[in-house]
Amino acid sequence: MNRYALFLGCTTPAQVIQYELSSRWVCKELGIELVDMDDFVCCGINQVNLNQEAGILLAAMNLAYAEASGLDILTLCTACTGHLAESVERLKNQETRDRVNNKLKTMGLEYKGKAKVKHISRVLYEDIGVDRINERIKIELSNLRVAPHYGCHYLKPESAFGGLDDPNNPKTLHQLISATGAFPVQYETLNLCCGGKSFPVSKEVAFYLVQKKLDSLKAQKTDCLAVQCQTCYLMYSDQQKEINKQLKKQYNIPILLYPQLLGLALGGDPQNELGLDLNTVSLNNLFANAGINRKI
Amino acid sequence: MKQDESNRGTIQVAELDPGFKFEILKHEEAQGLNACFACGTCTAGCPVHEVFPEYSPRKLAKMVKLGMRKEVLSNPYIWYCVTCHNCEQRCPQNVKFFNILNVLKNIAAKKGYAPASWVEQTQQIMKTGTIFSKNEELDKKREALFLPAIKNDGIKAKRLIKLTGIDKIKAQIKS
Repeated sequence: MNRYALFLGCTTPAQVIQYELSSRWVCKELGIELVDMDDFVCCGINQVNLNQEAGILLAAMNLAYAEASGLDILTLCTACTGHLAESVERLKNQETRDRVNNKLKTMGLEYKGKAKVKHISRVLYEDIGVDRINERIKIELSNLRVAPHYGCHYLKPESAFGGLDDPNNPKTLHQLISATGAFPVQYETLNLCCGGKSFPVSKEVAFYLVQKKLDSLKAQKTDCLAVQCQTCYLMYSDQQKEINKQLKKQYNIPILLYPQLLGLALGGDPQNELGLDLNTVSLNNLFANAGINRKI
Repeated sequence: MKQDESNRGTIQVAELDPGFKFEILKHEEAQGLNACFACGTCTAGCPVHEVFPEYSPRKLAKMVKLGMRKEVLSNPYIWYCVTCHNCEQRCPQNVKFFNILNVLKNIAAKKGYAPASWVEQTQQIMKTGTIFSKNEELDKKREALFLPAIKNDGIKAKRLIKLTGIDKIKAQIKS
């Protein structure tokens, strides 16, 4: 039985609830049990900017709560994934672990290093597997050309991800897209960062990076970009609209979260189960190309 | 490509702080600094550098080694990092520049150079446990989709953050 503590993070349940909705539905369909945890808080990634050990401490508290329940963690956000997994690495250092545990002790907690951190796509890839996913497909999306976007923290820092994939030439999300019947598009800016982490500090960097990605997608025949992180989603989707408005551009590239794409192939209800009506860029062309007779 | 117009002045040797490098090297995660031979692979792969040539991991590493304490810590671009990890992924010497940069940012934050975004976010986590405040409209939307309610409980996070002292960090006041 695949059973995980669900780590929602801050942004998904507040701003991209279609990611949460579709992830929960896909997991249920494929027999992955998700346990909601009352004790989880922010993973601490941005506190690293102010004090690295404070960031690791917040991560350690979340990890300790998962450990206490005897569960591994399933994440949706790649940044949470990267920070929690990197913290697990940093907490292997005995001095760091002792300092962190001295603070956790005041809350009746101890970090022991037992809980693993796995992103939903990794769980789908490793626990279920591409072949078994493909066997479950009800609607072949073979008319769709889908560009993958991995998200920097899905595979980096490399030392924290135990050889899941090659960050320089990743393949696993390509394979997960193939599992739905869709064609995974290889493109020039595949590994380019979405700029989400610089957005609160510099919009200029973020807008430049989003446009560079969207421009290289326009040069390809692509039906949509599939992302696996709500921040990447917001940058390419909501900020695509902002760029159109502020910089007088006319980008029109649909952005899907991978569980939404998989959910479509598994026959999920586009609105009630996958939240596709909440996506910012219109999906009507995508549906027409996929041969799905529905407008939302 | 834009050219970097910053720091064209002469370095004043008397103003350099030779102890700065050793202060950074005290941090275990910054040990790689000594291995840097300034090849610039980090800077060549840095997406922020494409937009702001003033931001360069290679240059920052060199400035730390020279002891340019004030220029490094007050440099606004150190906060622009997108955390893509390209610099360390591509470094032939296995220098973890991302970690060195975090050490620099942590010292700069103590000196009052942190941008408001990160300081305000920490304050918010102490209230709700997440980076967002309670939102009743969202609560209704989630309920309609049969999603569990958001807890908005910051008590534990607040206790923990207070133990680290980062709740006392003040944001940089923009002039």
